[in-house]
Amino acid sequence: MAYEALDFYDIDSLLTDEERMVRDMVRDWVDEKVIPNIEKACRDGVFPDEWRVDLGEMGILGAPLDGYGCPGLSYIAYGLICQELERGDSGVRSFASVQGSLAMYPIWDFGSEEQKNYYLPKMTTGEWIGCFGLTEPDYGSNPGDMITRAEDKGDHYLLNGAKMWITNGTTADLAVVWAKLDGVIRGFIVEKGDPGFTAPEMTGKHSLKASVTSELVFQDCIIPKDRMLPHVKGLKGPFSCLNNARYGISWGAVGAAQSCFSSAREYALSRIQFDHPIASFQLVQNKLAWMLREITKAQLLAYHLGKKKDDGTWIAEQISLAKMNNVDIALEIARMARDIHGANGILDEYPVMRHMANLESVKTYEGTHDIHNLILGRHITGIQAFTREP
Amino acid sequence: MGIAVLLKQVPDTTAKISVSGGRVDESAVNKWSMSPYDEYALESALQLKESGGGDLVAITCGPSRAAKMLTDAAAVGADSLLHILVEDISGLDSTQVQSILAAAVAHSGSDIVFCGKQAADTNAGSTGPGVAHLMDASCVTMVSEVVSDGSSLTAMRASSDGNERVAVSAPCVFAFDKGIIELRRPNVRGIMMAKKKVAETLSPADLGVDISVSSVSIIGHNPPPQKPPGQKFEGADSVAAVVGKLRDEANVI
Repeated sequence: MAYEALDFYDIDSLLTDEERMVRDMVRDWVDEKVIPNIEKACRDGVFPDEWRVDLGEMGILGAPLDGYGCPGLSYIAYGLICQELERGDSGVRSFASVQGSLAMYPIWDFGSEEQKNYYLPKMTTGEWIGCFGLTEPDYGSNPGDMITRAEDKGDHYLLNGAKMWITNGTTADLAVVWAKLDGVIRGFIVEKGDPGFTAPEMTGKHSLKASVTSELVFQDCIIPKDRMLPHVKGLKGPFSCLNNARYGISWGAVGAAQSCFSSAREYALSRIQFDHPIASFQLVQNKLAWMLREITKAQLLAYHLGKKKDDGTWIAEQISLAKMNNVDIALEIARMARDIHGANGILDEYPVMRHMANLESVKTYEGTHDIHNLILGRHITGIQAFTREP
Repeated sequence: MGIAVLLKQVPDTTAKISVSGGRVDESAVNKWSMSPYDEYALESALQLKESGGGDLVAITCGPSRAAKMLTDAAAVGADSLLHILVEDISGLDSTQVQSILAAAVAHSGSDIVFCGKQAADTNAGSTGPGVAHLMDASCVTMVSEVVSDGSSLTAMRASSDGNERVAVSAPCVFAFDKGIIELRRPNVRGIMMAKKKVAETLSPADLGVDISVSSVSIIGHNPPPQKPPGQKFEGADSVAAVVGKLRDEANVI
């Protein structure tokens, strides 16, 4: 049975032909390449290299960036790409988010002309994979107090410290690493093979199993002077990247929720108990109606935010709301869908348990659910509640 | 070398078909797609263009909604698009469609034509041979692959005793069956390029084709008749009954 995406308020009619074509291209690819292979990838704990090649060939990496060989698509198209990828698996969307929003974007926005010309063409084709090093073992929600330091040694920088929870880290050809230089946060491009740089993989995850997660370790890591991003200082750098990635997640969560809804609806219609399909029982219908309601609201939120991204009228708090809300409802929908599937819901024959486990990570990364609430709380009251310091 | 690919937009194979008033209710079709046999033709034509050069024009005869399919063809590499606009496509008979398409091919200046062996909705299978007849061209049907050796084109086709290789020269028409090739996926670059390719839109009259008189009248469309339900037998006791039915009713033993 071909996948039919839930689109209760006909968002489809708001899209341009180009956006629809890009969406359909990614949707077909996910049906053909991701869904038949995702369970094996999760069991093996790998992100198949073939997917990297395909994503590059489709030309969707760094979707909303233009110039330097990048696609130059709208933010709506970027959102649709994230939605379709995450309908397959959050790990696949994570790969694309990190490559596009966290590794390519800072080079595109804050890099020198030479850095852009050198890195971006190779990254948009997927030839080179990037990762993003901000979080540290002891500094997650509070990145401003990071320990990683860069020292100016005259003809090179010396980097010391460690980053953790880095998607694509071990497989990456380059890392955009945020470190303090004379107390000020700056971005550095570290390449695989730079002396003193290692990226061991983190194992034992029950979530995002088809995505590579790593530590980045810098022990007297020597990097050339031309690898610092010249045009940004302070937390604005990493936060700009996160805004774009969080925007993509708000769409991606819709994709995961659509997948769970679609599976739950199909299962409820075919599963017979007490001589009737369970879809005919009021408690099940109530669950399905709640899913439809929340997905529809999440879609409208993501779409409108996309329009604001495209015309440049957004504020960061609007992204926080969309990321937080959409992941929250997607996780709740995944849990509810698992419930409708009964015991079958725990099997890898159905996508729901995998989405559910993935979404637990998505709820936590790129600003935890609670941190986004605090961002909104500060916006509403003018009082920051992140720290007890004045 | 001018290559024309004839494409038809049909209800997607997953779409539900309902009949109302003796006709297929098009408004109830939720998804329209390129006919799958035409997809194979398009892919093979793209490969031929890539190996031997030439200009590839995608041609359709159909209503406004079919413009999207032409854009899809442009996204995978068609150089130009020709849309013969006929809103009530199901009001045309096969010979009229053939006349329009043959005139469109002539208009495009192409001498090599690729098409599906039949459309996935009407399944008439007459377009390829009909267009070839009007073009006075060679026609190879049930084709799975076409390769060029510079001077002639060789088509692989299924026959009753295996595969045949048929060499022809232009003008020629290849009608495609399902083979080993699948239509390529577009990419963003192709989709962006497709946005800039505007289809040339003509009416049958612009091509000098008169569609006012049809030699065919369609009485009505009906869903296929329901098959009588099968019979189920269980247990060793039913062996005699089954053997009896196979001998006396099915006449197979």
